[in-house]
Amino acid sequence: MYHYNDFDRDFLANRNAQFRAQVNRRIDGSLTEDEFKPLRLMNGLYLQLHAYMLRVAIPYGTLSSAQMRQLAMIGDRWDRGYGHFTTRQNIQYNWPKLKDVPDMLDALAEVGMHAIQTSGNTIRNVTADHFAGAAADEIADPRPVAELIRQWSTDHPEFQFLPRKFKIAVTGSPNDRAVTKAHDIGLRMVRNDAGEGGYEVIVGGGLGRTPMIGKVIRDFLPREDLLPYLEAIVSVYNLLGRRDNKYKARIKITVHENGIDTIRDKVEAKFAELKPLFSGVDQQMLREIEGHFAAPEFRTASTEAFDDAYAADPVFRAWCDTNLSDHRADGYAIVSVSLKKHGATPGDATGDQMRTLADLAEAFGHDELRISHEQNVILPHVHKSDLPALHRALKAAELATANIGLISDIIACPGMDYCALATARSIPVAQEIAERFEELKLEHEIGPLKIKISGCINACGHHHVGHIGILGLDRAGVENYQITLGGNHTEDAVIGERAGPGFAYDEVTDAIERIIRAYLDVRESPEEEFLDTFRRVGTEPFKAALYPKETVDA
Amino acid sequence: MPEAALDFADEPPEAQAARIAELNDRYRHHGATSVLQGALRDPQAGKLTLVSSFGAESVVLLHLVSVIDRRTPVLFIDTQMLFTETLVYQQELAERLGLEDIRIIRAADAAVAKEDPDGTLHQFDTDACCDLRKTRPLQTALKGFDGWITGRKRYQGTSRAALDFFEADGPDRIKVNPLAHWAPEDIRAYMDENRLPRHPLVAKGYPSIGCAPCTSPVAPGEDPRAGRWRGQDKNECGIHIVDGRVVRRSEPMNVIVTDAGFRQDDWQGNAVLDLASDTDPNTVDLSAAPGLIRVDFPSFADGRGFTIARQLRLRGYKGRLRAHGHVIADQYAMARRSGFDEVEIAPDLAARQPEAQWQFRADWQRGDYQSRLRG
Repeated sequence: MYHYNDFDRDFLANRNAQFRAQVNRRIDGSLTEDEFKPLRLMNGLYLQLHAYMLRVAIPYGTLSSAQMRQLAMIGDRWDRGYGHFTTRQNIQYNWPKLKDVPDMLDALAEVGMHAIQTSGNTIRNVTADHFAGAAADEIADPRPVAELIRQWSTDHPEFQFLPRKFKIAVTGSPNDRAVTKAHDIGLRMVRNDAGEGGYEVIVGGGLGRTPMIGKVIRDFLPREDLLPYLEAIVSVYNLLGRRDNKYKARIKITVHENGIDTIRDKVEAKFAELKPLFSGVDQQMLREIEGHFAAPEFRTASTEAFDDAYAADPVFRAWCDTNLSDHRADGYAIVSVSLKKHGATPGDATGDQMRTLADLAEAFGHDELRISHEQNVILPHVHKSDLPALHRALKAAELATANIGLISDIIACPGMDYCALATARSIPVAQEIAERFEELKLEHEIGPLKIKISGCINACGHHHVGHIGILGLDRAGVENYQITLGGNHTEDAVIGERAGPGFAYDEVTDAIERIIRAYLDVRESPEEEFLDTFRRVGTEPFKAALYPKETVDA
Repeated sequence: MPEAALDFADEPPEAQAARIAELNDRYRHHGATSVLQGALRDPQAGKLTLVSSFGAESVVLLHLVSVIDRRTPVLFIDTQMLFTETLVYQQELAERLGLEDIRIIRAADAAVAKEDPDGTLHQFDTDACCDLRKTRPLQTALKGFDGWITGRKRYQGTSRAALDFFEADGPDRIKVNPLAHWAPEDIRAYMDENRLPRHPLVAKGYPSIGCAPCTSPVAPGEDPRAGRWRGQDKNECGIHIVDGRVVRRSEPMNVIVTDAGFRQDDWQGNAVLDLASDTDPNTVDLSAAPGLIRVDFPSFADGRGFTIARQLRLRGYKGRLRAHGHVIADQYAMARRSGFDEVEIAPDLAARQPEAQWQFRADWQRGDYQSRLRG
């Protein structure tokens, strides 16, 4: 875990004092509403449908138990006793009062957290693989470099008023769990033929109303060149990106309109100018940061208790089969705690649940927690012998839902229940689908499947890259849901194909069930996952199930 | 969300007139509470909403509605030009009164982007701004209702002197004015008796509150509505309003901001190279550049100037570099770190954001992650 030094603490205290003053200057009229808006946004404060919303960064998704407890306290004291974990490793409080926000920011600073650049046309919270530092398949831990980028991008004087928001994600594993191809810049840690570490740099990905898969701008960037190269990309974008039309202002459009080769030439020219300015101190700092992320002292112990419970308790077994992932240390497992209890709001956690998770991380998980972009909480380092006790505690807190990666582990944006931009509801759709398949008891038979729901074209719910994507729109005042099929968010990212005409609010769950029934019919074996079946048979069997012939002809 | 069908859609005008007359007859001798109670339940009134500005006197009607039925839809038009105090007051009042169906109405993003991209429309066409941000969003929002409840009162002017409880609002809707017969003393008494929270700006001299750019305080003895759009009329005759005070626009001297604070422009040279914000800094001929380059900021939200400055410095420009235009105090540190020596701002901005606010960021070298990482 990264621990703030004096410089970080001084920066944050100063920044919070600035924001406190900005709130007062807005109230005394020194700042117009127009001028205040980007300032509050770059401090994480949105004006939502019902009230202000404060979005707090959880950089690269990593939290200590003390930080998690503070998040719980903030929710209890200044919100309505809960928080909402988002798809970009942030937590949102939906009901703060403007006058309380400076105090909330100070409370965050006490545990080395902030809401800086979680919104606005700036470089946003850097995200990373939520299994970082624990996954068996990892080449290197992406969090130190994500922390380096956090520092570099924080209050960068050139990049606080970009044409549009700018998101960076890093993965250290060939199995991309950080959706790097759907980010403005995606970084994949790789090794060249000589065995040296570096990055594959992907630029211009994004979802939203014009989904684009990112393009490789540099296939191997040496480690030490990262910051000048990032600075070159963002600097080129700051001058070249469109400012005449908000919907064409993201770098994906800049890349699309100018061509990746033109962008690459400009970036490389700028990079050549910037590189000499970096003395190499950043690499020394990176090594120091790496020290903060040293693996905990894993213990060696028998896993007998785990094996016995696994054999004896079917509920425990089911939970293990879905919610555990391979750890790089012997005898350890990565535990995903689902925040998608059937019928619950995806990503919501109460103060009590947060405190329970903090306690469990302290007791069983080397004091570490992660927030995944799939809106679940991860305990990255749990020794298998502790799993039966952990599972019992989770059950008692209603946090033992065994559905990670399954049909009810749905990503959903807040939708029309909270968001001013939304054109349709998403949370109730997710709830209804989860409840339907719970009733049908089909969830485990269906196997791995990712449903992602967005309540408007801005695609916060990542519907484009869901195996089944659902997009809620407003058609003449009536909610209408479009379904896409075959999307994928991993290293071979694909935008899903639209299945056909949309469905009314009360038809969506039936439509999803028809797709699932079609899948169960045509799959070759229970081992063939939905996405593999889709790739083998294409859209036709699903379209036929969604739009029976007679209605098509009618 | 789909709305239930309206009760009085496509009603012929004579039927509407007869219905309004009946309603007025029925409630002629009633007080505000019974008129409101009746209207919210009377099938002849149809589906109603309360339109509230959450302004100086709005709390009265909001309170009446919350007592009768807190599920009544309340439309609040957020012109996105409102005082922050209004927004805070709106939230707090809604929570305190337990209003359950507040609907915040805003102009569509696309319309604002098209008609008022930089938020300055109010400076040259108040009517168009009101139309964009108030009238049209309200008309759209009212489509789901048979009528709306307003807080208008007879005493507010000759045009309202004959105001009835019920009146037509075009062919498709009615207006209900429960407070039509109230006098200013009634409003004050009601607020006192029910211990209702006042809009914070009332105490600061704003008896009537609209959007921030078009509302100014009112002096004792002035008409309470004198502060609304006051500046706009005078603007046309060459006078500009800053913080509600009348300021002559004929003082053209811009203010130069440096680490030492405000000062007059001391540039003695005759030539200045002005660069627009869309300049490619690599094409600027630096060998011919005079000793001062000014980079324009047409809007504080246009951050290209920061990259332009940095690039000019990277290319070796050593002369004076000045950010010029709409740069706000909060950007001073960014400007200095990007390579600017100073900022040039217009006198009205200098009045609104006085020297102390700029000096607050004269410590621009503090907490500079980027310099630290470059070494």
